[in-house]
Amino acid sequence: MLKKLAPVPSPPLTHAAVTCPFCGLLCDDLTITARGTQLTVMANGCPKASAAFKAADLPGPPLVNGQPASLEAALDAAARILQRSQQPLFAGLGTDVAGLRALLALAEPCHAIVDHLHGAAMARQVRVLQSRGLIQTTLAEVRNRADLVVLLGVDINTDFQRFAEICLTPAESLVPARLAARRVFQVGPAASKPRHAGVRVERVPCAAVDLRQTLSALRAELRGRPHRVGGRTRTGVTQLAHAIRAAQYTVIVWAPGQLAALDGDLIIASAGELIADINRERRAAGLVLGGNDGGQTALAVCTWITGYPLRLSFAGDTLDFDPLRYQTARLLGQGAVDALLWLSTFSAQPAPATPIPRIVIGNAASTLMAPNSVFLPAGTPGLDHPGQLLRTDAVVALPLRELRPTATPSAAALLLQLAQRLR
Amino acid sequence: MDGTLIELHGGRLYDPTHGINGEVRTLYLSADGIVPPPPDAGAIAQSYDVSGCVLMAGGIDIHTHIGGGKVNLARMLLPEDHDRHPVARGVHPRMGSGHAAPSTLTVGYRYAEMGYTACFEPAMLLANARQAHLELGDTPIVDKGAYVLLGNDDLFLRLLAAKQDPAVIGDYLAWTLDAAQAMAIKVVNPGGINAFKFNQRKLDIDEENTAYGLTPRQILLALAQGIHTLGLPHPLHIHGSNLGVPGNVETTLATIAALEGLPAHITHIQFHAYGNEGDRKFSSGAARLAEAINRQPNISMDVGQVMFGQTVTESGDSMRQYAGSAYASPKKTVLMDIECDAGCGIVPFRYRDQSFVNALQWAIGLELFLLAEDPWRVFLTTDHPNGAPFTSYPHLIRLLMDRSFRNEKLASINPAAAAASILGTLTREYTLYDIAILTRAAPAKSLGLSSLGHLGVGARGDVVVYTDQPNREAMFQRPRYVFKAGELIVRDGRVIGTPTGATHVVKPDYERSIERTVNDYFARFMTVRPQNLRVSAAEIEGEGRGRLVVYSPRRSA
Ligand code: SF4
Ligand SMILES: [Zn+2]
Repeated sequence: MLKKLAPVPSPPLTHAAVTCPFCGLLCDDLTITARGTQLTVMANGCPKASAAFKAADLPGPPLVNGQPASLEAALDAAARILQRSQQPLFAGLGTDVAGLRALLALAEPCHAIVDHLHGAAMARQVRVLQSRGLIQTTLAEVRNRADLVVLLGVDINTDFQRFAEICLTPAESLVPARLAARRVFQVGPAASKPRHAGVRVERVPCAAVDLRQTLSALRAELRGRPHRVGGRTRTGVTQLAHAIRAAQYTVIVWAPGQLAALDGDLIIASAGELIADINRERRAAGLVLGGNDGGQTALAVCTWITGYPLRLSFAGDTLDFDPLRYQTARLLGQGAVDALLWLSTFSAQPAPATPIPRIVIGNAASTLMAPNSVFLPAGTPGLDHPGQLLRTDAVVALPLRELRPTATPSAAALLLQLAQRLR
Repeated sequence: MDGTLIELHGGRLYDPTHGINGEVRTLYLSADGIVPPPPDAGAIAQSYDVSGCVLMAGGIDIHTHIGGGKVNLARMLLPEDHDRHPVARGVHPRMGSGHAAPSTLTVGYRYAEMGYTACFEPAMLLANARQAHLELGDTPIVDKGAYVLLGNDDLFLRLLAAKQDPAVIGDYLAWTLDAAQAMAIKVVNPGGINAFKFNQRKLDIDEENTAYGLTPRQILLALAQGIHTLGLPHPLHIHGSNLGVPGNVETTLATIAALEGLPAHITHIQFHAYGNEGDRKFSSGAARLAEAINRQPNISMDVGQVMFGQTVTESGDSMRQYAGSAYASPKKTVLMDIECDAGCGIVPFRYRDQSFVNALQWAIGLELFLLAEDPWRVFLTTDHPNGAPFTSYPHLIRLLMDRSFRNEKLASINPAAAAASILGTLTREYTLYDIAILTRAAPAKSLGLSSLGHLGVGARGDVVVYTDQPNREAMFQRPRYVFKAGELIVRDGRVIGTPTGATHVVKPDYERSIERTVNDYFARFMTVRPQNLRVSAAEIEGEGRGRLVVYSPRRSA
């Protein structure tokens, strides 16, 4: 019997101090091995990261209407879609700094509207910022300076999974007394109680719909007035008010994407007011968890290049910032756009279903096989090509590396080639 | 010889670096910069008759907040600034927006339109250095550089509190410059931003930051000494304590004394030149300050002139910005404690000519300009956008050059403020030569930019041609031609070329052993690896996006 010869395996490559692009925390201490194109987290990844690196297959060939095509033919087909479009929408925006730069450079001549996958969460946060501002802080400040952390309706079990390890329970702190005294409160449903070992959490139980009421009660309590939630006084609220009065540096943490669509911005505004109240006599600050799928990057790059955050339209003679009007789902639902360019290189985010022509620049998980569509396979930044992403706290930006050999181009390279065809 | 040789003939040159004061000379430009006259006139590809025009090197803004996290937060905070000041399709090579907090593309085009070809961002944090360089990378045409903030970061304060050898502190400064790709070091409210995180609300120059037991005086001296030893071209860039506080002229005088004769640059000094006399306990300290600085050749300053209208104040000084947030207009403020490194505060503000305080601030700035005797130690700034957006420079130049225009404006401001100022008695008018010093030659000298700010052979070839007009505001607003590195990029006020400017950085030598200290600190306390914070040359230069110009100073002792 003939034995089939296995291909000679190339030795696995190990990369240290790797930046993980799979949530807004951008942990930069992962150890990853690459066996061929198979990536494995060896150290410091959370379950989400381990799964994401493991599942990151390389995409197949370009597709036109679901049929394999050469890259040239697919780019031509994509360019034709954009040429024929009167009002294209560029959405998803799951890419790195270079991808965003290239996308915005293309949006202007195409008169496109741009929105991110997490545009709703961004709009919630940006709206509060633009109406009253905010006192904010960053991860290292929380880790070292905070003696009270309040998790406000945020679930760090499903996302931002290493937040507790990085910020709540470090082995030491620049201000040891603060770490020794540190208390962690969780305001919200029981299901989101942090499961991280070593964090002792004091709970202020409240349903998601009661978050705003609970915050009002807390502010009343801090001003020395009796409070009421659902018609009665809650001991948790009283205890939290005591803790705030005793603390030197309170941090309130929320995740705009995890708050309810209905009153998420009001909850953030209320948290901002609470922080402003506390700062009259002692220090407090907010920490915003978000920025997944390149969200913080998209927001920041769009803001510096155009002056406006998302959502934004290049359709007219001047830029038009309107987070209510330029929502992906709404534009598609109203038939207000006639072509969709969908960018998704981090996670499995299929392009929204729509009868209009679609171009997808995406990873394997975003492969689109459908009539009236073009799929342009792109590498994942930080796995397949170098790049940069911005962390959730709007300060730190980190470098991404190439971890495995691949010929798959970056989204930026594809967008530049598209732009050349439209010249 | 390649075909791009350009001749500019008939114009009057103002090149203070070479003592040239309005002489008619011919300039030759190529992609290599300013070149000697060619032996063969046939080599000249283009000849411009610039008779009646004034020629200067490209302008250099030594202190302008144009890129980095807080600038971007200001942009995000102020859609009204952008709605009111759109840059419509076709005005510039690409769209943009903003007046007080313009988009990066718009910043580059507008500076170029005014004949400025180099801009220095004065408040970059190591924690935010990558973003700052990304934004500067999206700022077209102009050369750029950034000053890294030190003196409020917990690592520096720990080293100083532990009485570390000055050589170790010097190594840490040099390491930070290297990692952040910076051009100079700036300190903002020495120790005060850090103290604010521990809930101190003010910090006088001899008051201790309670967490570290250090005073601003100690911090200033350690930084100035470290910089001097490293041999950096630009001295410590100081945003002093007590910004905006009536009576702070005493603090500023004490700050100068604290330097013990070491070189230093005091930035936006107008905001630090207030007395507390008079009915309103707010008065001008300009005369005292100018007198002190005139006597001290180790000190330079930029003014941070206030102009009337809407702007936004963006500062690393979270302590003072928190205090200033009560005066926000519109009523909103962003404040940040940042990564055990620094902080920031963004407060929109409207300077009103009928407000006593604002009007006097305006007069104090002009007094400082006019009382400073040595133009080589004064730089023209509005601390963009804190005193006013940089687009007000032509107006400011006219105020300095045209006494009757200045007095007309003085007559229109709050009368009590006008009466409280000596401005009306100051007869000095700046000359074109003086302006060329303030906006070109002096900043280039202070930063050690050997190929910018002058018109000699070997300069980069950033040349501005102004039509000589009695209205100096109109003249400086819209040059006839602007050349960047020998390429015509602005014609009659319109941007026609968008080359990429260089990024200037300084790289002093240092003992690599400091990396052990840094790595240990980051591993124990921070949330990222220092090797990942470090901005690589490839990130700035990659894909033809930019070019680094590296200066390697020699240690002095
Ligand atoms: S917490 Fe986020 S950034 Fe960190 S390893 Fe997990 S997915 Fe990656
Ligand atoms: Zn400044």
